Parts: sequence; structure tokens; C-alpha cells
Amino acid sequence: MNNFTNSLKFCYKMGNNPTQLEREIGSVQLPANEHYFGLVNFGNTCYCNSVLQALYFCRPFREKVLQYKHQQKNQKKETLLSCLADLFYNIATQKKKVGTLAPKRFITRLRKECELFDNFMQQDAHEFLNYLLNRVAELLQAEKQGNKTKNGDNNSQTKPEPTWVEELFQGTFTNETRCLNCETVSSKDEDFLDLSVDVEQNTSITHCLRGFSCTETLCAEHKYYCEVCCSKQEAQKRMRVKKLPQILALHLKRFKYTEQLKRFTKLSYRVVFPLELRLFNTSDDAYNPDRMYDLVAVVVHIGSSLNRGHYISIVKSEDIWILFDDDIVDKIEASSMEDFFGLSSDIQKNSETGYILFYQSRE
Amino acid sequence: MAATGEGGGKEELKTHFITREGTYRLMPLSEYSKPTRVPYNGQTNTPVKVSFIDVDDGSGSPDRICFNVGRELYFYVYKGVRKAADLTKPIDKRVYKGTFPTCHDFNEMLISSESVRLLVGFTAGQVQLIDPIKKELSKLFNEERLIDKTKVTCIKWIPGSTNQFLVSHVSGRMYVYSEELPCGPTSPHYQPFKEGDCFAVYTCKARSTRNPLYRWVIGSGAINEFAFSPCAKYLAIVGQDGYLRVFNYDSMDLLGSMKSYFGGLLCVCWSPDGKYIVTGGEDDLVTVWSFHEKRVICRGQGHKSWVSAVAFDPYTTTLETCDSTVEEESVKKTENKNGSNNTVLANGIYPHSNPNTHDTRKPTQVVNSSSANSVITCYRFGSIGHDTMLCLWDLTEDIIKLPCGRLRSSVVASNPTPAYSSNTIPRCNSGNTKTNSVVNDVSVIDGHAYAIGNSTVSTTNKFATLSLGDRRENSEKKEHKRNFSLVSRSSDKSQTLKVSTLRPQPDNAMKLLGTHSCPRLTEAPLLEPLVCKKISVDRLTSLVFREECLVTACQEGLVYTWARPGYVGLTQQHTVVSENL
Repeated sequence: MNNFTNSLKFCYKMGNNPTQLEREIGSVQLPANEHYFGLVNFGNTCYCNSVLQALYFCRPFREKVLQYKHQQKNQKKETLLSCLADLFYNIATQKKKVGTLAPKRFITRLRKECELFDNFMQQDAHEFLNYLLNRVAELLQAEKQGNKTKNGDNNSQTKPEPTWVEELFQGTFTNETRCLNCETVSSKDEDFLDLSVDVEQNTSITHCLRGFSCTETLCAEHKYYCEVCCSKQEAQKRMRVKKLPQILALHLKRFKYTEQLKRFTKLSYRVVFPLELRLFNTSDDAYNPDRMYDLVAVVVHIGSSLNRGHYISIVKSEDIWILFDDDIVDKIEASSMEDFFGLSSDIQKNSETGYILFYQSRE
Repeated sequence: MAATGEGGGKEELKTHFITREGTYRLMPLSEYSKPTRVPYNGQTNTPVKVSFIDVDDGSGSPDRICFNVGRELYFYVYKGVRKAADLTKPIDKRVYKGTFPTCHDFNEMLISSESVRLLVGFTAGQVQLIDPIKKELSKLFNEERLIDKTKVTCIKWIPGSTNQFLVSHVSGRMYVYSEELPCGPTSPHYQPFKEGDCFAVYTCKARSTRNPLYRWVIGSGAINEFAFSPCAKYLAIVGQDGYLRVFNYDSMDLLGSMKSYFGGLLCVCWSPDGKYIVTGGEDDLVTVWSFHEKRVICRGQGHKSWVSAVAFDPYTTTLETCDSTVEEESVKKTENKNGSNNTVLANGIYPHSNPNTHDTRKPTQVVNSSSANSVITCYRFGSIGHDTMLCLWDLTEDIIKLPCGRLRSSVVASNPTPAYSSNTIPRCNSGNTKTNSVVNDVSVIDGHAYAIGNSTVSTTNKFATLSLGDRRENSEKKEHKRNFSLVSRSSDKSQTLKVSTLRPQPDNAMKLLGTHSCPRLTEAPLLEPLVCKKISVDRLTSLVFREECLVTACQEGLVYTWARPGYVGLTQQHTVVSENL
């Protein structure tokens, strides 16, 4: 029972190795059939490790990846998706509950596929997440198309059917513009795989999301071309969520480019995020506006700037919270989440702050 | 001082705000903090809480203030808006090692100018009883952490009791202690006493009576705060699972519950007449729940982050002579449910035309609202949050009277109509209300004493059954255990699994949406705050309404006093004098 009272900081600094964790927690309390494997760092690859762990614990995503692995048993061609599937499969089929793995093939493949990540520099975890999700969707789409051409019903004209990446992560926001001259409201829908929100000091993620949907007036050189008036007019614009995704990935825009310094500086603002979330900024015609979300994973950035620092992730597994710091695995209390909200004072720049939040819909 | 001071971001902080009653002003000389006035930059996240006590020592400053900052606990003479704070001489100061104070409560029954009894809860689960005036008293409870190892989140004396108190923890448990009993050298063994929907009460099984007397296990996740109703009969509890639950404290029956829109509920407060409960939480909302109708009355949206404290302002409340039958019925209902439904309304009724006379008035004076022909038609409450903002809200009659379940999609501004402002207390000087209050003063005191006697009797009764009925409860316990093992997947781990059976199913929380316990956003009126001001650099942690001022505290350990309108001019004179002295 002792481990229940250990604060995160304590555990974290102790740098418990996995076997110690296993012994401390006692296998009884760890959920059955779950595996907690830290990932070896290949030189600044924590941006990748942290996102992979977070995605592994987004259960619907993991299930789809493992399903893919089963379907593609005899595939010869190596892709980023096949490497991801192999890695997830490798974790899921381990005999031990806790341990360490080296995601070597995945990293090698990633570096081969994308120039951006082909170095030993620290990368932006959000950029990696974006790249990974889009790449996987592309690969799935290509496979679908390949199957279709084989079957002879090539209908390239129609809009491609969504893959399971879109089914899980894709939401829609509707961009409503009201012409202030003729009052006509025109709306345009746009899809998203994750939402990037601006952060403010001493606010909540809820507030940041509302800010995302604030009404904006388009005037002066930003005037809007109204098709009814057939001229440029002042207009009001707001973006509200129309289709809420199954997994809501929220990216906190904590890195701000400062012209003077010619680099990205970090906004360590204290932004609180609850374990349970609903959205306030849904459109009137939203299909499921009061969807309830549970926080399932957080990618945390530690440090003072984008290119210097470290990423770790905190994930929920059944009812316990696990911290992954590359190859280190630790159990933490839900209440110690507040250590990752950020800092109230603007003086310090070095901080441990939530950077990407993964909320999973309850139904 | 800090608010008007030099620091960069501090300029935008408000030092006054205006409501319909007038202007509230920050009293820079009445700021309390550590003696050095150095802002505290936390090694701990424990919120700064403030407790007041009136020791009635016959001096001009009978009030005492207690607050915790980091590892320290301070006890000062509180001079209110009248005189500048003297921070050089705290009556008591304590510094703790390894464990930090989180919350505290004064006993209202045993007070004298030489002695007060203060309970303090700690981060590692311990509880200490101290006398910050006499200083020799120090009793520790849960010292070996055998009862609970998690942080104490809220601590309160049981109203009317001189020796029993209630302590809630992050573990989701609450314990009833008697300060006269030992905590025992071993971990307590519990047996079921009462069970209900998502809660269970246990008694401690031991050869001789020991602490804790009872263990309450409620919902899933931490209990964040609890509050006894003004009549002392009911207990409202809010927790990390997002539920407000209201119990009859003595019978341990769950009387009603409410679910946040999402996330944990962090704070709770009863209206002075015990009819409404306001909560604040991680959905950035304040939510008003009607105890009698068992439904969400409205929500308030104004904070930019989590709401850390809510409080009704009993001094700014609008009364109206009761004429409609509906109101009479509701009053009767109150009467039946709680025979001595006492409220602190009386303070609101006093005409404030001459604030100097107020020194003699005790804020404990109460009015029996059922005997008065007046009902509250507008409630004032305040909230503070992690967004460093103070919000004031008016809960007006038109909101309260909206029929249940009626759909409203529009935002209802809580700005009152001029019709109300004429009735507004405390600026009101109507002879009618004045007489009422005088008459009521007598009946109140009666009712109050009655309530106290009552609760003492019932607690001792319970005590007796407890030790006598040991054996029979033993057999009951076995049955319960069997039930538990059927539900839980692996029966070997005792404590944690028992709690998990109490966990409300997530489906339940989902099903609640659209009901009176958790209406959709469009199904309950959404209030806008009357006042919404950024008043601090760091998150706000404590809010207290007093007769002549309101008091706020922030994480840095600064306790601000905001003079109410009418007390400002007075103060300035006095502060000038005290400065000269």
C-alpha cells in the first residue's frame, strides 16, 4: 500500500527500474493483460517515445493497430505503419508485465521516411503526432485504393472513404461567417485530427477551447468577400465544433516564436486540465454536443524551449496512472497531475507542462 | 500593499469593484501574510485557507484570524477594516516539518479570550488539536497514519459538539473522531454500519472504544470539501467524482445528489436559509442546486479556470414579505424538514446606516426564517478560482421560480432590476424589516439552543448502540462480505476492492445527463456574474464574507480584506489614525 502515498516527484527521482515497480505495485493491482514497457531513447527520441506510449494507451487506436498487424501477417513491404504495428504487437505479447523495449525499427523507418526527423535533434512531439497520424491514414488509404484497383472498381472520382485513423481522431468544425452588411451566414466545414489551442496564464483547457471559438471580426484589410453582396464586407467569424471526434487530441500552443530571439520560447502558463471533459464550443447543429470525454494520456514537455528539453508521457490504464520517461516506468497518483499544469509566475521558464492531451469519448 | 505595488503584472489587478450596493475597496493596510510580507513560492501546492473566530474579549478587536501558508500556520488578531494589521506580533506561529497544514476549523462552542480550540489537518493525513492562545494543548490524531495516509482535504467540528469532529481525505473516506478517545496502536478494523447508493458507513471494531468512531466511504476519488447545513442536520459533500451528495448526518441517509457538468467538484456552500447549495468545480462553473426540489436551478459561467471556493453572502440578501401561497408552502416545507431552520439572515436585516453601532452585534445572531413573514428573494454568493478572479453572483427570484425542466437556451443576465435594489439589504432602512429582526432575535436564540441539545443527544445515542450491538453487527458483516466478493473480480485485496464496488458506473453518470441532477447546458439557465475581477497574481484559495468586508486569500499566502460600501470612509479615517500611532 506504500506506493499509494508516494508522490510522483519522489518516485521519479528515485528512477525506479521496472522490476522494482513491478515488485512495489504487486502484480495483483496491475490490470490483467496490460503491459507497461518503457522505450529506449536513441538520442533525443523522447518526442517519439512519449507520443507512441500515449497512442498505445488510447485503447481504440491500439486495437486498430493490432488488428492491422493480424490482417497483414504476410506483408513483405516495410512501412511506418507496419513498424508501428510490430512495435505495438511486441509490447502486447510480452510475457512480463513491465520492462523495456527498443523501438529501433520504428525509429530507423521514421528517419528513412521523413527528412525532418532524420537527425539526432529534439523534435516537436506534436509535429511528430501529426506526421504519424497523417502517414498512417495515407498508407491505409493507399492500401484500400490498391485493393479496389485489383477488384476493378476504380472510382477515383468519389471522396475517399475514411480510414480508421479518421474514424478515431477526426472531428469537424464549422466555420461560420456572418456578413455584417446583409446578415447572411455562410458556413464551411473543416476536418481536424487534433485541435491546437492558444494558452493563457491561469486558465483551464476548457477556457482555451472556448477562446478557440471566440467571435472574430473581419475588418479593414481582412474584410470578407460576401457572395450575396458581391463585395468585400466586414464580417464576424467563429469556429465551433460540429462533429466531436472519438479521441480528442488537444495541442497546447506553448511555443511562441519570438522575432528578437529568433527562436521558439516556451509559455509555461498554468493551464489546468480535468480528468473528465465536455466541450462548450459546439455548434447548434452538432450531432453529439454533450459527449463526455475521459483523459487517457498526456504528453508532457519538460524544459525551457522547443529544441531543448525532454518529453515524457502519463497514461491511464484502467484506473491507474503510469508515467513513461523513455525506458523508465512508474506508477503515479491521479492527484499529482497538478504538477504538470504549469507555473503561475512568469519568471521561471523551465517547467514540466502538459503539451498534448488525449481525451477519449466515453460511449 | 502588493496589489497596488510595483511588480510588473500586478498593475492590472483590481483594487476596487462596484456592485449595486456601492463600491468594495481593497484595504491595503489590512493585508495579512507572513510577517515578512514575502510572497510564498511554494514547495507545496496546499491551498491557503482562512478561519475566523470571535473570542469576545471585550476589546475593540475580538476577532482572530488563522491561515496556513506552506509549512506554516499563523494566528493573528484580526482588526478588520478598522485598523491596520500588525504582522510583527502573531499570537501564534507554527512551522511544521515533513507534513504541511491543509485546513483548519475553530470550535464554536468552547471559546474564551484565554482559550480557543483549533483543529488542523495535514498533507500526510494527520490531525492536530491545538490552542493557539494557551499554547499548551496539542493532541495528535492519526499520528502513525494507521487510519488514513492520504491528505486531509477538509476538517470541521460537528456543529454543537465540543469533542467530535469530521475529517475528509483524498482517499475518498471521512472519519468521525472524538478528541477524548485514543487512536489506538494498530490499524482499525471496520464493520459495516450502513450502506447506500455509492456510499457506506463503517464503525470501528475494537475492545474499547477508540478513534475513529465512524468511517464514511463516499463515491470514487477524493472528497474535496464538505459543509454542514445552517441547521446542522444535513451534510453536503463534494468530490473528485463530480458528485454533490447530501446526507442526513445523524440517520446517515442519502437525501439527494447532483453531478457536475464534467470533472470534479471542488467546493460547496449552503445558502443561509439552507434551501440551496452552490458548488464550484473543474467545469469552470458554479452550480446552484435546490435541496428541496432536488434539482439544478442554474449554472454560472464566468470563471476562466477551476472554481476553488464558493460562499454565500448572508449580509447581502434581499428579503420580501411573504404573500404568495407558493412561498408560504416552501417555507412550511422548510419548517417540517428542519424544525430549527435558523439562518444568519438577521445580519442582513440590520440597517447599516450607522456602521459604528455594529461593534456590539454578533454575527452569530440568527433569525428563524419560518416565523418571519419574509423570504429571501435574492441570494448573493461569491466564487473565486484558479483564474485569480473573484466573481459575485445574484440568484434572483425569477431564476429560482423557473419551472423545472423548462428549456432555456438564452443567457440570463443576473443583473437585477431596479425593483430589487430598493429591497436590498444591507442598505435597506425599511421599518418593516427592522421590527421583524428585533422580534426574531428572541425566537432565534431559543431555536439555536434547541438544535444544539438535539444533536448532542442523538450523537450519544448512536454511541451507545455502537458498543452494545457489536455481536449482531458481526453476523451482518459476514453477509456483506459475501456480497462484496460476488461483485469484485478478485476477492483477495480487501480495502481497495471494496471501494471499487462503490464506484458509480460511468454509465450512470452518462444517464444523468438531461436529468435534474445534471441538465444539459441548454436545459438550465446560465447566469453571468455580477462582478468578475482579477484580484490576485496567483490562484485564489479562500473566500469569507464578513459583516463589514469580504476576505480573500491566494496561494502566495496573502490575505486581502475588501471593505464593503459604507465601511470604506470609516476605515480610511481609522487607518490614518493607526498609522500615526
